[in-house]
Parts: sequence; structure tokens; C-alpha cells
Amino acid sequence: MRALTANRLDDGEAVFWKQGRWVVRFADAELFEGKDEAETAEAAAKSQQTIVVDPYLIDVIPAGDVWAPLSYRERVRCLGPTNHPMHGKQAEGGHDIDALVHAEGAARSTGRVNLIKRK
Amino acid sequence: MYRYDTIDKEFVADRAAEFREQVQRRLAGEITEDQFKPIRLMNGLYLQLHAYMLRIAIPYGALTSTKLRKLAYIAKTYDKGYGHFTTRTNLQLHWIKLKDAPEILDHLAEVEMHAMQTSGNCIRNVTADPYAGATADELDDPRVWAETIRQWSTLHPEFSFLPRKFKIAVTAAAKDRTATKIYDIGLHLRRGRSGELGFEVLVGGGLGRTPHIGSTIREFLPTRHLLSYMEAILRVYNRHGRRDNIFKARIKILVASLGAEEFARQVEEEWAKGDPSRIDLPDTELARIRGAFAQTYETLPARSEALEAAKAANPAFARFLRRNVHPHKQPGYALVDVSLKVPGQTPGDMTSEQMELVASLAERYSLDEVRVTYQQNLLLPHVKLDEVETVWRELDAAGLATPNIDLITDIIACPGLDYCALANARAIPIAQHIAERFAEPERAEAVGELNIKISGCINACGHHHVGHIGILGVDKKGEEFYQVTLGGTADDNAALGAMLGPALPAAKVAEAVEQMVEVYLRERRDGERFVDTFRRTGVAPFKEAVYADAH
Repeated sequence: MRALTANRLDDGEAVFWKQGRWVVRFADAELFEGKDEAETAEAAAKSQQTIVVDPYLIDVIPAGDVWAPLSYRERVRCLGPTNHPMHGKQAEGGHDIDALVHAEGAARSTGRVNLIKRK
Repeated sequence: MYRYDTIDKEFVADRAAEFREQVQRRLAGEITEDQFKPIRLMNGLYLQLHAYMLRIAIPYGALTSTKLRKLAYIAKTYDKGYGHFTTRTNLQLHWIKLKDAPEILDHLAEVEMHAMQTSGNCIRNVTADPYAGATADELDDPRVWAETIRQWSTLHPEFSFLPRKFKIAVTAAAKDRTATKIYDIGLHLRRGRSGELGFEVLVGGGLGRTPHIGSTIREFLPTRHLLSYMEAILRVYNRHGRRDNIFKARIKILVASLGAEEFARQVEEEWAKGDPSRIDLPDTELARIRGAFAQTYETLPARSEALEAAKAANPAFARFLRRNVHPHKQPGYALVDVSLKVPGQTPGDMTSEQMELVASLAERYSLDEVRVTYQQNLLLPHVKLDEVETVWRELDAAGLATPNIDLITDIIACPGLDYCALANARAIPIAQHIAERFAEPERAEAVGELNIKISGCINACGHHHVGHIGILGVDKKGEEFYQVTLGGTADDNAALGAMLGPALPAAKVAEAVEQMVEVYLRERRDGERFVDTFRRTGVAPFKEAVYADAH
């Protein structure tokens, strides 16, 4: 299962694809089971140059009763810095955020590796 | 303090206006991200995990109250009310919006600041001894030379697209407080046999993926030839530095592959080709720059009865004096360290309110000067001994008087994976966990000088290779692990640390540091620092203590 993420152009906020638009909360992100639909969305996202920067696909895994990004780096992007628990998306709190904080499972951010290769 | 002239002011204001237009064009879709990215980087604006990050240049770490207040205002207005001082003596703001960046550059220009030379393959913001102009152990004020380099290097057309970034550090003191040996060019002021001043020129130092200690390529360069000789070094590097492989593009790789001797020969040859007077500054201009740093002191007794009485009455103040207060060249004055290392908090971070307080203290008690150190602390360079206690009380009330300079809790840490797009692991929580274990000032002081330096990736912003204990975050299949090195130093006898053993999981790092400190306390002989004991005993007892569980 994968999600599509990017940073918003005008303020740099980490955002997630949801049916053609971008949402701030990872819990609202659209998840793709198939390769084709994920890559179609990624291609569409890449054409949105005035809205986002560097969209890429990330792997997600079950974390309790929700989904969470597989890589630790992507979970940090979904939450905020661990040295300031009230900064970033984590400040909102609640069940979904809590589940991400406690999610486990670790692998390199595949999307990021592709980005590095592209440079 | 050097003040911009009219040309400087117009140039920096124009640059901010130019960036405003470039941002508008990017937001309107008139230029692509690929076209825009190098432009924003040339203005210090990076895109990181949660937002844009603006890295503001603080040339040779020198600030005035006006500048520091402006930084406080920017952090409060456009960020979340705090900033992070770096090992390059810059300030990073981690929650910046692209749409606000032009306005921030306008604010910076108002106080003679900018964010140029904090990114890109150019000559970066120059650093110098934070004790400059205030210490008795210097031959000259290194800021004169650092300012000369700043004026020469900013947007230098020939050196704006080097093979890779290029960093220069200057010291004029016997003790190296600027880590010059890990710089692309390190300049040490020396006095020649005839009494003339000159620089020992070191080239090819650097950390990152391939760490090197700089090599001396010229024992004595008369100061008046500084710029022409630097130009010759940069030209050799620009011509022969590798552009085919980003990991081999720094000058350290070129110097290592040619050998320092051959590199020096090529520089001398290049230098001999030109007419140095074409570029070297005339004495009148050097005198003008020097004049900007002249400071007037009151004539005071060398001993302050008020300070001695406070010291005798208050052990906490006495400890602060021992750790954070240093002798000044002028009788009756002292240098006072402002620690940004409260155990359990983020190394190098400072709130807007704290910046405003230090600005106010500088204005009232330090001849309006503040310095940033590469150890991510601040310094008030000219405090009267009679007023040190007052300064201490105000700093203490704001959480800025931790008496821990150079101690185990004075940890260098980069922002790491909490903020940085390049990081593989977090650095800040590791620093917090270690410092919490040694939070008792008595305990930290009993351990003595011990520099811990932590980087969240191989780029080594946290200088881990030259930490007495160096800690490097690595990504092991997506999990945070930490490689530990021992015995590194960034001082006059700069050395790279040696590996302790296999990387440790995050939860084990603070415990491992505590175990290594116990080994040191057990093994140390009179007057030995941690690093001295390590160099005598070798890695074996430390390794045994940390990995005992694994056997």
C-alpha cells in the first residue's frame, strides 16, 4: 500500500494526495493498492508545479487500526519534530496522531531514494 | 563592528528586491522548481521536512544588539519564536514560508544582514575566533581579515560556481577556537622573523564523507597578500577540482590526490602569474576596515572587589566564573559565555525572548557586541568585571547561564532528522538524553572537559569526527543507529576520532556515554582530560565497557 506526498510550494508544509487535491493530515491521505493508480496520481501531481514541490510515493503499513508510513523519516514528516511536541501536525493530537507516534516498522523512504537518484 | 557603506546597503537591498521578484515568478508558475531551486539556495532558503529553512549569514559570528533584536523579531513574526545557531555560526529558522522569505530578506537588509553565502557552491560565510579583539593571546584582530575576505568573496563572479562549497576560517590567537584545521582554507596569523605579520595557510581540511585535517601549504604569507594568494588557491581548485562526482568535489580531495606539496607548487605558480597589487587591498582600505573594529575601554583595576565578594558568597556564581568567564585583554573586563546548552533542551536553540535579553545585555554591558561560537553558544565579549554578576543573574533567570562550557553537557548537535531533509537519524534527542544524565553541574564539572559532537548524517554538520566522543546517526534499514568515534579534536592538535565498534541503537547511546565516562574516571591520571586518557589507553577499555553485554 502506498500514499503520495510532497511539500506545498508556498509554505513548505508536508502534504498528501487525496483524489486530485492535497491534504495536510496523513490520516486523510488516499492510499493506493495498485501500482498503476499510484503512478497515475504521481504523474498528475508532478504536473502541479505551482502547488507542490517534488511529489513522491511512500510505502505505508498497518499500525494498530490505522495506516502509517513505513519509514521513520516519513512519520516525522507526518508528525513534526520530536524535540517540540507542540510544533507541526502532531500538535493537533488525537487517535490518528497517537497511532503514528507509536507506529513501528522501519525501512528507507523509497520515494526519497528515487528523488536522490533523479538528481 | 564593521558598518556597511552605501554600496553594501544598496547591494543587499537590491538583492532582496530581486528575490521578491523571483519568488513571485515561481509562485505564478513562470519558472520551474528546477530553475528556482538554485536561486533560493543562493539566498539561503532550503526546503526541509516540515517547511522552508532560512539560513541567515552571521559573518565571523559577530552581532550587535540591533542585529540580534532583528533576528528575534523575525523568529517571532515569521517562525515559531525560536532559531537554531549552527556550527558555522549562522542562524537557521526552521518554519519559514516561501511567500514570507522576501519580506524577511528586507528586514535583514535593514540591519546590514542577508542570507547569501549560506548555501551553494560558492565561498561560504567566513568564520573567525569568537574572542577576536578581546583576548590577550592574539597577534592581531582576525575580524579585519575576515571582513576583508567577506567583502572580496560575496558574489565573487569567478568563484560563484565552484566544484563544491568552500569554507574559510581565520584565527590570530595562539589557541585555535575556530576549528581552522577542518576548513577548506584555515588561516593562522603568525609573526615572522622580521616582526611582520603573516598567515600560515592550511588547505584541504574538511569533514563529511571523507574527513581530512588541513595541510600547511605556506608557512608564512605576508598579510598584505592575503587576497591574491586566496585567489590563486581558488583558481587552482576551480580548474582542477572534480565536477564529475559530488562526493569527490571538495578541495580536500584535490589536495589529497595531488599531495599538499604539489598543490602548493601549483598555487605558487598561479600566484606568480598575476600582479598581486591588482587585487590585494591597499593599506588605506585595510586601515578603514581596521578602524571599524576599534573599541574604547574604560581604565579599570584588574581586580574587582565586587566580583570577588560575590564569588566568595555564592558557589553557583563561582562555578559560572570557572566555566563561562574568561580573561580579557583589557584589565577590569571579561568575556562571558552565554550557554545555549541547558541539559534536556535543544543544543543551539534560542527563543526570541532570549535573543532580546542578550541583545539588551550586550547593549548595557558588552559595548553592544555579541559573538556566536561554532560550539553553538553565544558570547558577550566585553563585560566589566564589576558587572559580571549582574549579567549572570539576568542570564540565569532566562536559562542562559548553564555553567557548562566545554563540559560533557556542552554538546554540539545538528538539527538531524527532526528537521533536516538530508538526515538519516535524529541528533537532538540523543544530545538531550546524554545531557540529562550529567545535568548535575557538580557531576559535569567532575568529569571535566569533554566535547561530544553529534551529526544526523555523514555530512557532519555536527562535527562528529572531531568530537572527543563523536556520534554519527546512520540509517540501518530505516532504523536509527549511531556510530561512535573517540579521540577526535578540533583544536591546535586537530585529529579525527577512531571507531569504537559496531553502531549502537538509539536507546543505548546515552548509556554507552555514561559507561565510557566511568572508564575514564577509573583510568584517568592527574590532569588528564577524557581525550588524553583515551589517547593513552587506546580504545580497548572503552570498547569493553560498552559492548560487555554483547559478549
